[in-house]
Amino acid sequence: METEELKLQLKKQIIEFLNLISVKPEDIKDDEPLFGEGLGLDSIDSIELIVLLGREYGIDIKDPKEGRKVLVDINTMVAYIEQHRTK
Amino acid sequence: MRPLFYIHQSSCISPQSSFEPVDIDQLFEPADNKLMAREPSYDGIPPGILRRMGKAVRIGVGAALPIIKGPAEINGIIIGTANGGMEDCIKFLNQIIQYEEGQLTPGNFVQSTPNGIAAQLGLISKNRSYNITHVHRGLSFENAAIDAAMQLADHQDNSYLLGAVDEISAYNYNIDWLGDWFKDENTGSGTLYNSGTKGSIAGEGAAMFLVNRQKENAAASIIAIKTLHTPDLNLVQQSLVNFLEQNLAEGERIDLLLSGENGDARIDPYYHACETLMGEGTTIARFKHLCGEFTTASAISCWLSCHILQQQRIPEHMLKRKGNPNALNRILVYNNYRGEQHGFMLLGRA
Repeated sequence: METEELKLQLKKQIIEFLNLISVKPEDIKDDEPLFGEGLGLDSIDSIELIVLLGREYGIDIKDPKEGRKVLVDINTMVAYIEQHRTK
Repeated sequence: MRPLFYIHQSSCISPQSSFEPVDIDQLFEPADNKLMAREPSYDGIPPGILRRMGKAVRIGVGAALPIIKGPAEINGIIIGTANGGMEDCIKFLNQIIQYEEGQLTPGNFVQSTPNGIAAQLGLISKNRSYNITHVHRGLSFENAAIDAAMQLADHQDNSYLLGAVDEISAYNYNIDWLGDWFKDENTGSGTLYNSGTKGSIAGEGAAMFLVNRQKENAAASIIAIKTLHTPDLNLVQQSLVNFLEQNLAEGERIDLLLSGENGDARIDPYYHACETLMGEGTTIARFKHLCGEFTTASAISCWLSCHILQQQRIPEHMLKRKGNPNALNRILVYNNYRGEQHGFMLLGRA
């Protein structure tokens, strides 16, 4: 899957998993922070995103420090998925 | 007789126009034998919190917002719900199976617990006082109201948020339909009460009340509540006789019987037995065509009673028998859940 295609798929999955009412994939910028500013996600959302990576891409993040580096924005998530996906 | 408590403010999200603006003369019909709640835009709930809420939490919090955002100090939150966020509960259970007890998302679980509604209300209003949820199937609201009355007996100056909420979940609807609790044939308000068949139509909703023991400026009062568990029709009838003897003063009568009749031919005899105890002057009205049958429908009937006592008129579509009351001062609500759980509530004009 091409990187751009993966980004779009991931944005759709984030919207669905986090029930982001009224957010469209094009509203999420690739380099926009997921937490705090930008999408304004919180700690419960981070758990949902880790579950998303596990279910959809077979990625198991156990180290919270590693999670912090991955769940920065769409670019960092997609880069990590491309390197570590098992499905 | 001094009422158990007074109702000062009420709010309701139901399948009808019961939430700003209120118009219960207009009737919204069920679709596929389900009366779904007409939800407002929830402007008072932060979007980040709203997106995580399941429907039960959403309508419960939404109905309570006008009260908890109001000027009254609230000394406790008392909610009745039989199922809480049932839809989220089913989603969570399905996840356990689908992902073989592996990684589960917390959102559905958090939203599915019955006490999630009262908890969310406590968090939003930063209210750290008494916070409790009564989970007693078809008597959840009545038991919450009894708890409010007991709290107020001990703390005369307090005010409480009292309410109830339940939602239709697709999964539970199917189970209840298989159990003959919902009708097979397509049913509307015009055919519900004279179908002669088993089952009713499904419903959902939330009704919330600000209650205390201050009479001044009250909208209505709850004079007495009684609950009983029995399938014995004669016992139900005798209990109602005793209830009225104990709680009506000399010369007082019931002006309106608000009956929980739901079109289920198996349950009709209970309602008919109670109707026979009313004098000819008593008006009889029904409400399940407005909200459908669900475990906390009696909370909707309580909200309707408040509305009727304040407006002093009953919408035509609710009338079963027109009596001749000079004024609507005393309303008796009789609700029966599945022929086993019975609740009597006596409401008065403040």
